[in-house]
Amino acid sequence: MNRAAEHSQTNPLREGLSTRAVPQPCSIVIFGATGDLTHRKLLPALYNLAADGELPPAVTVIGFARRPKNDEGFRKEMEQSVKEFSRQAVRDEIWNNFAQSLFYHQSDFADESGFKTLAQRLEKIDQEHGTRGNRLFYFAVGPDQFEPILKHLKAAGLNKAPEGSWARVIVEKPFGTDLDSARELNRVISNSFSEEQTYRIDHFLGKETAQNILVLRFANAIFEPLWNTRYIDHVQITAAETLGVEGRGGYYETAGALRDMVQNHLLQLLCLVAMEAPSDLRADSIRDEKVKVVRCLRRMTVDGVATDVVRAQYAEGAINGKPVPAYRREERVDPNSTVDTFVALRLNIDNWRWWDVPIYMRVGKRLPKSATEISVHFKKAPMVLFSKETNDANVLVIRIQPDEGISLRMQAKIPGTSFRIEPVKMDFHYGTTFGKASPEAYERLLLDAMSGDATLFARRDEVEQAWAFIDPIEKAWSAKKDAPELYFYPAGSWGPEQADELLARDGRAWRRL
Amino acid sequence: MPEVSESYSLGQPVAISDIGIQLKKLWQEGEGAMTRASLINLAVYSEKPGSLEKNTELIAKITENHACRALVIGATRESKEDRIEAWVNAHCHVTRAGGKQICSEQISFLLQGPCVKWLPSIVFSHLDSDLPLYLWWQDDFPDDMDPQLWAWVDRLIFDSQTWKDFDKQMGLVETAEREAKQRIVLCDLNWTRLDKVRYALAQFFDHPASHHHFAEMENVTVDFAPGYKSTAILLIGWLASQLRWKTNQQHMNGSCRFVDSNNRKINIELEQKAGSPIGEVVLKSERVKFCVAPAKCGDLLEVSRSGEKEAALPQMMPAQSNDPVDLMTQELLRGGAHRIYLRAVSAVRNLL
Repeated sequence: MNRAAEHSQTNPLREGLSTRAVPQPCSIVIFGATGDLTHRKLLPALYNLAADGELPPAVTVIGFARRPKNDEGFRKEMEQSVKEFSRQAVRDEIWNNFAQSLFYHQSDFADESGFKTLAQRLEKIDQEHGTRGNRLFYFAVGPDQFEPILKHLKAAGLNKAPEGSWARVIVEKPFGTDLDSARELNRVISNSFSEEQTYRIDHFLGKETAQNILVLRFANAIFEPLWNTRYIDHVQITAAETLGVEGRGGYYETAGALRDMVQNHLLQLLCLVAMEAPSDLRADSIRDEKVKVVRCLRRMTVDGVATDVVRAQYAEGAINGKPVPAYRREERVDPNSTVDTFVALRLNIDNWRWWDVPIYMRVGKRLPKSATEISVHFKKAPMVLFSKETNDANVLVIRIQPDEGISLRMQAKIPGTSFRIEPVKMDFHYGTTFGKASPEAYERLLLDAMSGDATLFARRDEVEQAWAFIDPIEKAWSAKKDAPELYFYPAGSWGPEQADELLARDGRAWRRL
Repeated sequence: MPEVSESYSLGQPVAISDIGIQLKKLWQEGEGAMTRASLINLAVYSEKPGSLEKNTELIAKITENHACRALVIGATRESKEDRIEAWVNAHCHVTRAGGKQICSEQISFLLQGPCVKWLPSIVFSHLDSDLPLYLWWQDDFPDDMDPQLWAWVDRLIFDSQTWKDFDKQMGLVETAEREAKQRIVLCDLNWTRLDKVRYALAQFFDHPASHHHFAEMENVTVDFAPGYKSTAILLIGWLASQLRWKTNQQHMNGSCRFVDSNNRKINIELEQKAGSPIGEVVLKSERVKFCVAPAKCGDLLEVSRSGEKEAALPQMMPAQSNDPVDLMTQELLRGGAHRIYLRAVSAVRNLL
């Protein structure tokens, strides 16, 4: 995060122009170049960076995929996608220039010769475009494809960069399906790329509000003294979406909400909320503190899973007044599927700061609205002076998406002669306060990877510790005997009533979103 | 009442003593979902005739991206009799998400006669509390500036391109900075005008393998539009201060010479040409030419490097618009001190 100073020392003309690390010239090779992620996110993000002048001129993109296509065909296809998905309108002058740095390399991932020709092509591009031997390999493919790609990259010598250059790899989630598979995946990656070369992307961390959690906590003196068991009653983290599986039934059947969302996105958010202040803003200083939080998560026993975790699946219902089918009737979903589309959990962090402060998480598909937020519920003030009935606690809400911002609920006296108290909300909206639109998460993360800043990427031990926490839950669910029940909730509701009971038995309730 | 569609009127006339009450009313009488937003106090001062209307239009556009409380002041010192008039208005814009309107307040003042000297008290009594004060001074600074004012200003915005006597004006600004009890950041829109060109030039040297060119620099040529010579000189000042060049030969017929730390000579050519404030900029080292030039479309820069064994591969980067709204929008996005600017000025002070 703070490498700008380092760079400004080397390039005196950069001083004062950038407060972030400067991205380096490079060739970005995208494996899975014909896939959805490339079309919807990666190419639009790269175009936006080019249009904003953030991309170094000497950056080329090489799409690597099986389908027969030439450079021109790839450029045309990408132009359509960028026009459809870019956050800003596509300008011909910029596109025509940007398109000249797009190339297509046709090969099967299992074909070793395709990687040898890729290496030759990259060398030629280095000479012609000044990409200086720097390579960023983006794996926009399923994890089952990682091994052959990595093996052939290594065989072609592409995992190592020439002196003074670098080679990095970006991998997309899922980072395994359990601890064993995550370790195996990490082993496979580490056979070809070192940990310093590996960037595990979690797009939640690229969101402006997620990054602002560190600023809120550590750049404001008023919160940190209250950020502990003495003043905080509990924390809620919610990631709700109205969407169903949207044609990704095949993938979702192997994942479920716990693996798809909790293991990565929600635990990452929890780490930012619960971590201690890092000693500095270097990537590893921050990640060291984050991983300590996951290590301190109290592991679930079989009984704990039964009492502290609620899993559920959406039945048919309606979203925004339109009927939607049950999960089991979605495309490529087993009609008897027991996959979770909703999870609610009660977690405990066993350290001094968070002792006896429960963390409630819920994540679900086909909920009434799409919203991701963290709410910190403070303990109530001693109500010796006012009516106990009006004693609402202070709540600090960090809205991750949409309508990014922060609000604080507090008590205020209603104007009048009597002493009536009502909760009021102090509200900060990014959209209202700052006119400038935030860049998309992928834009920020791609730039960071090009700059060698791994702060917003998950480290191996973070991923493995997260799986070590998730595994006992998955194991309890898949037990043949006495597995906790799978509940059902109508699409368009806030999940099963058991999720409400999870808090109700502690005398609490989910925050109304 | 805040208006749903934007207008550039000064709004409702109001007695100075009633400004607070009228602002309150403005929100009470507003219809629909509106949010008052403010990140800064932005005071704009001008003595040009008709400036109140012109600046109201600028503020309406600036508040699309920077919510603020605007204090727009139009002054005429010449008049013998005191006259103070005030207006309140709000500029409302629909948020990017649509629906809700975000509104910024504007208080306008017309000051005529000796009362102009009461400017500090007028500004201070209408600040939105706890927010920084940015003062955009659109004219030359008078010799008798009230030192009281500087104690409250966080950022002083001006445009040195309009100054007739740079040295004298800079001297007044520096005095203000010294007199200020708190830190004033000097923000020169003439420097902001160079942001994108500087960015485009800097990126050529991001890779360590390009750094040797600094020691091999031979020529710099800068084209500038009529009236923007000071902008071109500031650009040279930036290169000189960052690359540790020192003036070696005085400015003659658009050319001058610097020497680097190894006493190597660097020739500077400044040429006036119609077009963008800063036209083509070429840095020539022994073997490579680094070029930044406005693209035909006007709002982009074409950047390229070429050499004996290297064909030029032009790339497009955003150019800095010279519109005052865009310059202000860009300036307001920045934070921190402008140390590099002060260094650049110092490197070419004798040329400005």
